[in-house]
Amino acid sequence: MAQPTSDLPRLTSQKAFDEFRARAIEKWEAIWNGKKTVVSIGIGSSSIPVGALDVMAAFERIADKENLHVRKTGVDGADWTDVQVRVKRPGEPAVVYANVVPSDAKGIIDGKHRGKIIGVEGDQPFDGIQPLDTHPFYKYQQRIVLQDVGVIDPDSIEEAIARGAYMGLYRALFELTPEEVIAEVTTANVRGRGGAGFPAGIKWESGRKARVTPKFVTCNSHEGEPNVYKDRRIHEGDPHRVLEGILIACVAVGAERGYNYVGGEYPLAIQRFRKAVDDATALGLVGRDMLGSGKNVAFRLRTGGGAYVCGEGSAMMYSIMGVRGQPRTKPPRSVEEGLWKRPTVANNTETLSNMRDIVVKGGEWYAQFGTEKSKGTKLMTVQGPMKTMGLVEVPMGINFKTLIDEVWGGMRDGYTFKGIQTGGVSAGPLRYEQLDVPVDFDSLTPLGGMLGSGGFVVFDETVCAVDFARYLTAFNRVESCSKCVPCARGNPALVETVDRIRFGRGSQRDLPLLERTSKHVIELSLCGLGQVAPMPLLGMMQQYPEEFQAHIDGVCPCGVCPVSAEATVEALAAD
Amino acid sequence: MAEVVHAPAKTDGIDLDYVRTLMAHFEPEDWQEGQELILSALQEINEHFGYVSVEAAEIVAERLGTTINRIYGLLTFYADFRTQPRGKHFMLMCHGMSCYVMGSQKLVQEMADKYGISDGGTTAGGELTIQVVNGCLGACNQSPVVKLDDDYHGRLTTESFNELVQRVIAETAQEQ
Repeated sequence: MAQPTSDLPRLTSQKAFDEFRARAIEKWEAIWNGKKTVVSIGIGSSSIPVGALDVMAAFERIADKENLHVRKTGVDGADWTDVQVRVKRPGEPAVVYANVVPSDAKGIIDGKHRGKIIGVEGDQPFDGIQPLDTHPFYKYQQRIVLQDVGVIDPDSIEEAIARGAYMGLYRALFELTPEEVIAEVTTANVRGRGGAGFPAGIKWESGRKARVTPKFVTCNSHEGEPNVYKDRRIHEGDPHRVLEGILIACVAVGAERGYNYVGGEYPLAIQRFRKAVDDATALGLVGRDMLGSGKNVAFRLRTGGGAYVCGEGSAMMYSIMGVRGQPRTKPPRSVEEGLWKRPTVANNTETLSNMRDIVVKGGEWYAQFGTEKSKGTKLMTVQGPMKTMGLVEVPMGINFKTLIDEVWGGMRDGYTFKGIQTGGVSAGPLRYEQLDVPVDFDSLTPLGGMLGSGGFVVFDETVCAVDFARYLTAFNRVESCSKCVPCARGNPALVETVDRIRFGRGSQRDLPLLERTSKHVIELSLCGLGQVAPMPLLGMMQQYPEEFQAHIDGVCPCGVCPVSAEATVEALAAD
Repeated sequence: MAEVVHAPAKTDGIDLDYVRTLMAHFEPEDWQEGQELILSALQEINEHFGYVSVEAAEIVAERLGTTINRIYGLLTFYADFRTQPRGKHFMLMCHGMSCYVMGSQKLVQEMADKYGISDGGTTAGGELTIQVVNGCLGACNQSPVVKLDDDYHGRLTTESFNELVQRVIAETAQEQ
């Protein structure tokens, strides 16, 4: 529930914001230049399961005695270091500890547990410790969206403002015309980060030109995929960046209301974002007469209920309107007729999170990162048995092998690389030999892969390709909204055929049958979910034909599938 | 972190006065906003009681200007909602891709074979409800992971999963 925010003043002019910001910066500097040792603990959905709150409590218990300033931050993306603690003694750079448990607290302050140190902040070595930026996990990163994640306390609007939050909005309100804001976004050539890669500048331009009012902006933070957690981490680590992106879009497009649609399964993300909205509203950054500029933008947070299909633009809008999230035919596109039949600009969270820096530093600055056709940076997540797994922000076009072997540290001991599933449930896997490619929107597609929303899943030799294909197809079967027949009936048919193969009852005819059925689903489905639903299956068949053949011959090479078991109705119904 | 307060376990109905109080906080300024709030309202009820009953749905429908038919349509469309009470304890079993490649399929299988529960089912004695999450719980470094009430249990094997489930069942049976 909302915290009382009475201690925040309402800022009614440009000058008032400047003063507030100056005070916030002073406070921020005071934390770091004070006499206390600053202990920052990364707390988020990945570190709470391994006891981050207990670690924080352990440091708080000794805070008075040891003269500590204990504070929380978001998780900086390095899931493999959870719980991560940064200790900054007066006059020294912050030392970063990984995998801290509550009983380490006293020892860390006493200078022990040096084995848990992974680096030191800044660019100079200190006390024999190498800078964090030389660690492979951080070395290749170019953090724009994530620059304050793991740095600020996500519940403190003052810390966010001290680090430059709302400066993009400030510029959009007072220094630039809406057309100039859109021009910067167009120059930056930032393409939609949700997977489709549609240029945001063009979308805003058509939103701006739409004559019907009121207009809306929606931010799609519903990550229903089973393989991505980037948007949730932005909300948990730096919620103000998301909110600011939405507000900038509203000002540029001329929308009177912004929405953020967050998946209901992310309680912490929702809680922190709600606090951010309450604080920003109290300060007068949202609502009527923002910072005395005369512009009004209302804001609403809406939560979804766990339906993957609501990531599709029109389905999301139906979900916001309180009905079943089922996509509709296009045209009209949502920018002509979206939410409540009004022009609506829909962007992904990551896209909007880039807007602050694009508006403040300019589109050309942003366009220096990345490749010719895919500008900027991309958040990428990995799952599976990797050594240093986590969320990273790298420039577009990074070599895939570098990403796997260095940034994510290669396979954990005892696991052998078999393949990497790309594009979530919407594309196929790649083998190791194919990975010598740049990762951007266009390079993976010819190989049968996809960048999508940037979620990759590495699987090892114990994972059977047929079983994995069944899992991915079954996901689409469950998540199909059942509106149109090719997807609603085609996906179950695919699962049944794969099951026949899994249970050792398959025949040579089943492989062409799968291809034919897939073709129907792909060509006849209405929305993006159905049109790509059979892609993982087709990709698996293309990359691992020998495994499909082995199952038809009656053997599962990985020993996973019940090739000789009786195919009971219950077993087939299990997901 | 906000304290999550669990309602006393009731299997036959839910405290309608609480629902009414909750609904009083929903003050839509117009019909459109009322429609937008339906899902949020249902979520709060589902969060608090573990499911949404017909009576609760009626209160929501009346307050926000819709019908229970439409609400039933929403409850059955979105995976997070339940229309039946939960068991005494509630487990979310992550079946995202990370958990899958690390072996959550075996846990799903175990759940069906050993305890006879399919997705969303409750053990015979009403001790534990297990819901399979098709999305992701966001603790991928700990996969395969389950969330039991408020606690996460990660890097599970079939053995440690069984141990966990049996402990919950035994403890609950003792309490009763």
